[in-house]
Amino acid sequence: MNNKTIIGIYEDEDVLLKAMDELLENDIKINDVYSPIPLHGVFEKLNLTTRLPYATFIYGVIGAISVFAFLYWTSVVSYPLKFGGKPLNTLSFIIIIFVLTIFVGTLFTFLTYFIREKMYPGKKVILPVPRTTNDQFAIIILIEHNMSAADIKKVNVILEKTGAVEIKESE
Amino acid sequence: MYNTRVRGVLIHGNKTFTDVSRDIIKPMDDKTPLWWWISAFIASGALFWGMWGFYNTISTGIGEWGLNNNVAWGWAIINFVWWIGIGHAGTAFSIFLLILRQNWRTSINRAAEAMTIFAVMAAGLFPLIHMGRIWDGFFIIPYWNTRGPLWDNFNSPLFWDVVAISTYLMASFVFWYIGMIPDFATIRERTASKIKKKVYGVLSFGWIGNARGWLRFETAALLLGGMAAPLVVSVHSIVSMDFAVSIVPGWHTTIFPPYFVIGAIFSGFGMVLTLMIVMRKLYKFKDYVTDGHLDAITRILTFISLIMATAYTTELFMAWYSGNEYEMFTFMKNRVTGDYKFAFWTMITCNAIIPQLFWFKKIRKNITIVFIMSLFINVGMWFERYVIVVTSLSKDFLPATWATYQPTITEISIFVGTLGLFILGVLSFFRFVPTIAISEVKGVLKETTTLKSFTDE
Repeated sequence: MNNKTIIGIYEDEDVLLKAMDELLENDIKINDVYSPIPLHGVFEKLNLTTRLPYATFIYGVIGAISVFAFLYWTSVVSYPLKFGGKPLNTLSFIIIIFVLTIFVGTLFTFLTYFIREKMYPGKKVILPVPRTTNDQFAIIILIEHNMSAADIKKVNVILEKTGAVEIKESE
Repeated sequence: MYNTRVRGVLIHGNKTFTDVSRDIIKPMDDKTPLWWWISAFIASGALFWGMWGFYNTISTGIGEWGLNNNVAWGWAIINFVWWIGIGHAGTAFSIFLLILRQNWRTSINRAAEAMTIFAVMAAGLFPLIHMGRIWDGFFIIPYWNTRGPLWDNFNSPLFWDVVAISTYLMASFVFWYIGMIPDFATIRERTASKIKKKVYGVLSFGWIGNARGWLRFETAALLLGGMAAPLVVSVHSIVSMDFAVSIVPGWHTTIFPPYFVIGAIFSGFGMVLTLMIVMRKLYKFKDYVTDGHLDAITRILTFISLIMATAYTTELFMAWYSGNEYEMFTFMKNRVTGDYKFAFWTMITCNAIIPQLFWFKKIRKNITIVFIMSLFINVGMWFERYVIVVTSLSKDFLPATWATYQPTITEISIFVGTLGLFILGVLSFFRFVPTIAISEVKGVLKETTTLKSFTDE
């Protein structure tokens, strides 16, 4: 496997977005973009989507159903005890269902986020450009094994032309 | 998308991304300042005194408090509601302003959220101690038991409280932490200290800041925010139901949930104002927390104060309009003119009248006056809870059971102890965590800054 990459480093978000346009017009595949801030233009240009909202919705539905099932089972089936003449299966369950649905949704969305991102406390990472967490933006282009020297040169030319402050190759 | 530019410049001083990182991380790299040690010393003293009160209560019993058969809720519940109210601002700030896409939130939300966490922790202590037999506290959790199994009363507002507050604490913490991850990564990559690299490396969970990571991060933050927003409303509604579900005069009103939620946001914003003024002064963050930010908070406070005044007036009006003599007695005799008139009028003055001074630009611009007024709001909101809890309980239906209430030294010490806990929490937040959301400030820097090199291009 050839994991060599070309990294174009930029110092401005708009310059970076223009550079991405230029690269995509020339049919060059952008592997990833590292940035200190979220950039919506990048998500659109890389056609990135996330299914996290669907997951949250499912957690919410499961949460609501299971909380209601628990309340119903404890209050109606397991130990039917009348409080103040109210029905056993009361409307006021909505309050607990409402809050605990949020509880389940929040907790599992949080966990799903870390699982999908493969993040955990103490994970060791080496950033291709450490300053991307501070003030730089980096475009990562993977050198495919079918890329010729001319192709690589073309990538370099475009990166340079579009205002990259530094271009480097790495393993 | 609807995007307004009315706020103009949010961050002053022609900052670059590097400047933002450096300025915000600087207080963490500097030597611990003297004021920090002094405040931490005083706060620890308060906390120790509180622990004495705590010990007193647990070892002897609730009899150590000034409660009696009639006034069975005293300072503990007042302080509980007060702290929960303060704890509302963090979420109100971050989440409502996130959903409303108010970019000026970015300089303040981190501190407001931190405040939420410590305030809710302080609040949570009170119901726990109020049980008296704290070692039986686990009874509140519906677990499989050998008593039948006998379950909790799921129709009780006190049980709703437990559920709501633990959910709120968890959701606020999760939202706060997820927002800090990119900033921890910034510290991890910038620091030269080996220990810091290790600690913030663990805390940053291996954040790299690639495109997909940011997309998921933003989506997760928006989802967590969207879920926490109704939670903010529901938590204090539920706290208000502790009162409103009973039949005690002065409590048994339908206005309570919105009235409590607005009151909570009011006191929370007051505390945010107090803290932000202190923080920007001590850390010289005037370029980040600008006069414009403080101005925006004061404007919100003016508006909320009007709602508070409307709520107070509505309560008085409804007492008269309902024709209920007990309500009339509680409001007109006991609160407005009776034994507790000092508390009532302090509440009106601090919450409904003093904040109206914010209509004047001169006052909004004078940070010292704004700071003093923010303290008045905190005091006023404490008295609001005092009025609600004590006046209604001390004189209810039967004159034979009327009683007065005076807090004991134990109750006072516990309250002072929670103040110490809160201040210690805020101090450690100031010291070990970036107090302003670095990546979020960078995100709004370009569209709102006056920076030349950005606009010239």
